[in-house]
Formats: sequence, structure tokens, C-alpha cells
Amino acid sequence: MAPASASLRKVRETAPPPAAAGPVDVTMIMRELGAVADYIAHIKSEIGALRANELCRDRIPTASEELGSTLKATASAAHTIMAAAEDILGSGETSMARYRPQVEERIIAILEACSFQDITGQRLSKVAEALGQIEKRLGRFAGAVNARDTADAQDPEEALRQARREMLLLNGPAAEGKAIAQDDIDKLFD
Amino acid sequence: MALDLGMPILVVDDYQTMVRIIRNLLKQLGFEDVDDASDGTSALSKLKQKKYGLVISDWNMEPMTGYELLRHVRADEGLRTTPFIMVTAESKTENVIAAKKAGVNNYIVKPFNAQTLKTKIEAVCGA
Repeated sequence: MAPASASLRKVRETAPPPAAAGPVDVTMIMRELGAVADYIAHIKSEIGALRANELCRDRIPTASEELGSTLKATASAAHTIMAAAEDILGSGETSMARYRPQVEERIIAILEACSFQDITGQRLSKVAEALGQIEKRLGRFAGAVNARDTADAQDPEEALRQARREMLLLNGPAAEGKAIAQDDIDKLFD
Repeated sequence: MALDLGMPILVVDDYQTMVRIIRNLLKQLGFEDVDDASDGTSALSKLKQKKYGLVISDWNMEPMTGYELLRHVRADEGLRTTPFIMVTAESKTENVIAAKKAGVNNYIVKPFNAQTLKTKIEAVCGA
């Protein structure tokens, strides 16, 4: 709530120097102190609405745990699928009658492994919901306190990581539809 | 000129699943002498110990990226002619151009298929 701080600034700027000070305007000071108290109460209320403890205690650790589980599940599924594919490719069986049941068994293993997608989908939904909550609450808080980002507030370690990412072009996978197509890359190498 | 299936190939990727995928694809193509490294630093060390006919490298790795590895390879008198294919999820035009300027022989974006890998290896090492 900017008006309270603006009023205080105005009081400081318009106040006569101490030597020339006249009678104190108690009413005005009380009014300004009231505005400051209202502002502090408002900020406290907005900090409360942020529910930072709940975010730190529950939502963020849960989201982190879900992502960790997703990583493990995808790695495990990839391992199972690849092991089955390697068994099929590497089979030395020459009899089709014996080869077929071997292949079928491995295909069933592949199909079973693919069920990871359902579980990881649910886990990722939880993470998306947590991120949505954080975005919503931070957005509300930033709006309520009229927050402005300052350039010098960046974490030094993050600044180093950012500089490295920029220098070595570590962009990561592009968003859907934004990646250069393999055909267009090929034209550069023709 | 046919592909030399006996040539040693170095696969550089920090993601073991991807190493395994590329190894399997190379095996299907007939390449048997395949080594791997998990980042540019260990790749560089292996490149100095053994003569490889091809390097297939990811871009985003720690501590040394594939892009840094490529620049080291091209700056090294003994390694500068080693064929180098980048296989990466880095799919911005600036990445492809930077890699080309640094001397990469070809560039594949993930996810890719066996045919793409085969075509690029043939283009770089074959006829």
C-alpha cells in the first residue's frame, strides 16, 4: 500500500527544520501513524495469505519428492523396456516355434513397463498443481505489496550458473513447436 | 567408400539410458568397438589414449559440455580430424550454428531414430 509510505515521505519533506519547529501537529502525526499501522497490518495479512510455511513444509517437498519418484519410475521403465528389446535382438534362437514365445514374453514385459506413464502422469499433475499454487500466491503477494524486482538481488551462485548457461549455450530442450527441425539442420550441413 | 565397421566409436553422454540406446543402435548397424564416457573431461582423456574413428556426443553435460569437448578436439593437433557428431536436445538454431562454426561434422536433435543416426554416420564416415 504505497500511500502510507508516500505520506511519510511528504511529512519528512515538508517538516520545518528542528530549530524553526513550531507547535507539533499531533493530529497529523496520529493520522500518519495510523496509516503506517494500517500498512503494516495489510502487509502482515498478505504475508499470512502467502502461507509460506505450508509451501515450505508441504507443497514444495512433496513436489520435489514426486519429481524424484518420476525420475526413478521413468529410468526403471526405460531399463525394463531396453532389457526386453536387447533380449529379443540378441536371441540366438533359430527355431521360430521357440523364438515366438520368447518374443511374446518380452513384449508383455514392455507393455507392463509402459504403465509407468499413468503413475508418473498423476505425479506430474500434483507437481503442476503445486507450481500453480506457488505462482498464484506469489503473484497475489507481489501485487499487494507493489513489489519490484531489483537487479542486485540475484543469488551469486545462480548468477554464475546463468552466466555459464549463456556462455555455453545450455538452453535445454526447446518448448514444443520452438525447436529447429532435423530437416532444417540437415540443410545447414548439405 | 563403405563404412568401416571395425572403427572404434566413442559415445559421450551423461545419461546412461541414452548411452545404452546409442550402443544398441550402433550394434545393429554392425559396429562392435564402442566405448562411452559420461562427460567431456573423461571423453578427452579416452580420446588421448585410443584412436577413435568417430565421436558421438551429447551437448549438455557436467563438468565439461559436448560443445567444449568439440572445441578441445578441434584445437588439438592429434585429434582435430576426428569425425564428431553432436546428438542433443539442444535444438535452438544458435546451438547448431555455434557447433558448426566449432567444426562439428553433423548434428542430430533428440529424440531421433535409428535411420537418422545411420544416415549421419554414413555422411560423416562413409561414402
